[in-house]
Amino acid sequence: MVLTLYGLAAPLGGTATVAMTLAEKGIPYTFVSVDLQHGEHKQPEFRKKQPFGLVPALDDDGFVLYESRAICRYLAEKYAGQGPTLIPTELKAKALFEQAAAVEFANFEPHARAAYNEGVLKPHFNLPIDASALNTCISKLSDNLDVYEVILGKQRFLAGDEFTLADLFHVAFGTTLAEAGCDLMTSKGPNVKRWWKEVTSRPAWLSVLNSGIKTTMCEDDAFKSGVSEP
Amino acid sequence: MTLKLYGRLQSTNTQRVILILKEKKIPYELVEVEFGQNNQPERLQFQPFAEIPYIDDDGFILYESRAIARYLVAAYPEHGPTLVPPPSAGLRAQALFEQALSVEAFNFYPTVSSILMERLFKPFIGQTPDEAEIATLTEKLDARLAGYERVLSKSKYLAGDEVTLADLFHIPLLTLFGLGQIDDFTNDEKVKKWPSVARWANELVQRGSVQA
Repeated sequence: MVLTLYGLAAPLGGTATVAMTLAEKGIPYTFVSVDLQHGEHKQPEFRKKQPFGLVPALDDDGFVLYESRAICRYLAEKYAGQGPTLIPTELKAKALFEQAAAVEFANFEPHARAAYNEGVLKPHFNLPIDASALNTCISKLSDNLDVYEVILGKQRFLAGDEFTLADLFHVAFGTTLAEAGCDLMTSKGPNVKRWWKEVTSRPAWLSVLNSGIKTTMCEDDAFKSGVSEP
Repeated sequence: MTLKLYGRLQSTNTQRVILILKEKKIPYELVEVEFGQNNQPERLQFQPFAEIPYIDDDGFILYESRAIARYLVAAYPEHGPTLVPPPSAGLRAQALFEQALSVEAFNFYPTVSSILMERLFKPFIGQTPDEAEIATLTEKLDARLAGYERVLSKSKYLAGDEVTLADLFHIPLLTLFGLGQIDDFTNDEKVKKWPSVARWANELVQRGSVQA
């Protein structure tokens, strides 16, 4: 039975993060759009799936899971045999992956999300931008990206020389920064720029951007990474 | 070589690691990093974000308290309680555990940490707490606690009926609720809204104090 992904059909945030992982692994899925604008996610019916009233949520043949990073980890484990290995298995390599994944949610996500809320979401709702608040989060992000510049000068990706979920988790919020008037991902330094170009050029992300987040009708629609059906 | 933990006793992130070291009965040595000394070159070479804690386990350096905790559990499986679902529990149990870890990191930590920053850290550095901001954050926290109630009214702990790292990660901040004047689990009117969460929170704080 096919997986069902519930969320927002836009190339940003948690739903897009899961969609990218599904594409990396070549997993077909059904997409159900949740009407955030009209508060569908806060309704009791949806809260049965996601008790915090947030998106996305995944339904795998009755097994329901939420929190985009947990969903991605589940997909990486369940489909370990197909597509790229998104989480290392060896003890120390895995620990370094966890370290990089923790850096994403502790040192990148809060500031990137704050910049998105201030610089993109507020204008969208015709609210005035607090320039000082926007500058603060961009400044914090900049300080942390200085460290990324050092790390990425020594290794290809954040957890080592292989692409992992720790890199993937940056994509869906990182790409909204430009819209918030922040070009750090390309201007910070040559190493961050090289890494950012590499992760955002992955066919899985391009398929989310170009084809959108929608039900994959058949095996052919799921991104072909040269693997067969699970 | 005894594992070395670089941090400060007053730091909740250091406390998170100490908690797990004690639960797992792993011997360690705390190397005190004084406040304001994180960005010394000899520290930066190990923790490039100028933060604490980080560990040195026989030459293997690791930072980020939650990553350290996961590593300790994986590296010392025979010591103390398991704190993570065993492989025999299967893929879904593992996924529910990851879900619970994500809830702590995103639905609890940022909001509570911000409130405590206002109430405890700002006075420490001579600034005034922003009450309007605290009110907004409190509203957000209350909405999150309603979510926690939906989960904890059905299972004893966040990932099922066994305690895991996902529950324990909450302890350092839960322990500061009193000092931080967050009355969600002491105000009778509020406790009525989330009795299961209050039960769970009080049990965890007890567990944390026994380990101390």
